[in-house]
Amino acid sequence: MANIAVARIKREFREVVKSEEAAKCNIRVELIDDNFTELRGEIAGPPETPYEGGKFLLEIKIPETYPFNPPKVKFMTKIWHPNISSVTGAICLDILKDQWAAAMTLRTVLLSLQALLSAAEPDDPQDAVVAKQYKENRHLWEKTARHWAQEYAEAPKSKKDDEFYDKVSQLAEMGFDRHKALTALSAHEWNMERATQDLIS
Amino acid sequence: MSADVTGDGAGAEGGGGADVDQGTYECNICLDTARDAVVSLCGHLFCWPCLHQWLETRPNRQLCPVCKAGISRDKVIPLYGRGGSQMDPRTKTPPRPQGQRPEPENNHGGWTFGDGGFQMSFGIGAFPFGFFASAFNFNDGRPGPAPPGTPQAEEERVLSTLFLWIALIFMFWLLMA
Ligand SMILES: [Zn+2]
Ligand SMILES: [Zn+2]
Repeated sequence: MANIAVARIKREFREVVKSEEAAKCNIRVELIDDNFTELRGEIAGPPETPYEGGKFLLEIKIPETYPFNPPKVKFMTKIWHPNISSVTGAICLDILKDQWAAAMTLRTVLLSLQALLSAAEPDDPQDAVVAKQYKENRHLWEKTARHWAQEYAEAPKSKKDDEFYDKVSQLAEMGFDRHKALTALSAHEWNMERATQDLIS
Repeated sequence: MSADVTGDGAGAEGGGGADVDQGTYECNICLDTARDAVVSLCGHLFCWPCLHQWLETRPNRQLCPVCKAGISRDKVIPLYGRGGSQMDPRTKTPPRPQGQRPEPENNHGGWTFGDGGFQMSFGIGAFPFGFFASAFNFNDGRPGPAPPGTPQAEEERVLSTLFLWIALIFMFWLLMA
């Protein structure tokens, strides 16, 4: 990898480690390989969102041309958010695409992603199903997003929705994959019949 | 894991670690102390090689990497310090195309005519055509072309072809000289 990329990632890595946000456990970054081409990021679910208390892992790949081109980032932790694919974890965020600027850093990227969790942009969606639900039934979206955070991001289960858990368990007992069952239920307003149909087809 | 890397980085850069917190004279792209420093009109500091590469990466969207103000190679100001920055200019930096260094606008050197390279080459290029056109008119004073099929028309055609070749050879000679 180009020298500038390695030197920068080293510095940025230290910047994140020393940052105020890291001290408050809001963001974290870890190295995956010795070449500084891949990192593991982590952001805390922001307060007063359905993601509160959750930990979201990110795959960060540093391109050869960094920092002139943005890092490639996606969510490894499954998440229910209009701008993040519930299937692949791909992110729709302008600064990771054409709005990238060479002065941005890992820290600003992680903080921007955290801000994205606080303020979704449903008109520029990555996951059309989630975005539709966000716009048409915000309450159900919130409950679903919270459920996903509890299921996948270790969010506290203090506001656990028993109905959701029961439905997922029922489908799992029928032999469906638990994650597929949750996805189908989430996409079909937690309607058992439609979710089952979706799973069979 | 994090402790390891922090240690490595600080070791490799010697005392540079302390600068990270201050960062006043760090390039906003490589985050290292700016080499061949330039400052944008919005006041942001960069190494020229770093900024140049950024501008090359996005030729159609030339924005300041920090504040996204408009920026271009002509609108950055080189900074010339007194100390080390003048010692190690081109030996350390990657070679960069000469013409792409930001130049001051009022560069009237005595050896050029016209304002810049473009006008000069244009003048030379146009010269043979002007010369041969006037030579042709002098030899043959008629205003209009001869009617087709006449010996004059044939002669004109041969002559113009000949002059075209001479012009081409002359231009080639100019280019080689
Ligand atoms: Zn630089
Ligand atoms: Zn600026």
